[in-house]
Amino acid sequence: MSASTRLAGLSVVVAIGALVAYVLLLRIAVVRNHPEGYVVAFAVATTLAVLAVVRARARRWPAWLALGLSTLLLVAGAWFNFVVARVPDASTALRVGERPPDFTLPDATGRPVSLADYRGRKPVVLVFYRGYW
Amino acid sequence: MSELQGLGAELSKAEQAGVEIIAVSPDPNEQSQKLAQGLRLGYRFVADRDLAVTRRYGLVHAHGGADGQDVPRPATVVLDRDGLVRWFSVSRNFQVRPDARDVRRAVRAL
Repeated sequence: MSASTRLAGLSVVVAIGALVAYVLLLRIAVVRNHPEGYVVAFAVATTLAVLAVVRARARRWPAWLALGLSTLLLVAGAWFNFVVARVPDASTALRVGERPPDFTLPDATGRPVSLADYRGRKPVVLVFYRGYW
Repeated sequence: MSELQGLGAELSKAEQAGVEIIAVSPDPNEQSQKLAQGLRLGYRFVADRDLAVTRRYGLVHAHGGADGQDVPRPATVVLDRDGLVRWFSVSRNFQVRPDARDVRRAVRAL
């Protein structure tokens, strides 16, 4: 196997590996909270693929394939992390030491849950969530 | 969901019993219920279908959804026994959520 093909293979392993690792390790806070990590990994994979293309002599397609894949992931990953996933900063109704707005909402069985019911009884952790993160 | 899973793993049984974790989402109830059962978590999942409550909290990301619909800004709020806010965190990137250890620290400090 030529040096170029080995570099191309390494590029694909780094790119796909980063994607799989990120999805599988999402539950680990340090992985979830550094999504730029996958962008960096895709950039490394793209660099390896460029080196593979430069060194390619006879069989060129593995290097070009690796370059196409890693560039696609780099552009898509950077776009997702830096553009799509951005949440605008705006003021909230939350102030430390103050009471947040009361609410009554149905739970999964349709029973109403009121925030006020916990007052004087139990501390509450409110999680406003969306998606898989 | 990974945030809620992390919270389940980080808080001890006693801590989970001593605090009510309420997960607020615009998802339909059926979906939330499946999630809660699948994860075997003792959380209360409540549905804020029209984001009315999320909006009152100032936590709506206008047109932030994949189809341009309004979606919640991911946020975690710790309230003490008197219902006062003791700690909160709002995400600037929807992939990023508070570390469960920081939430645990806030809960332990109550």
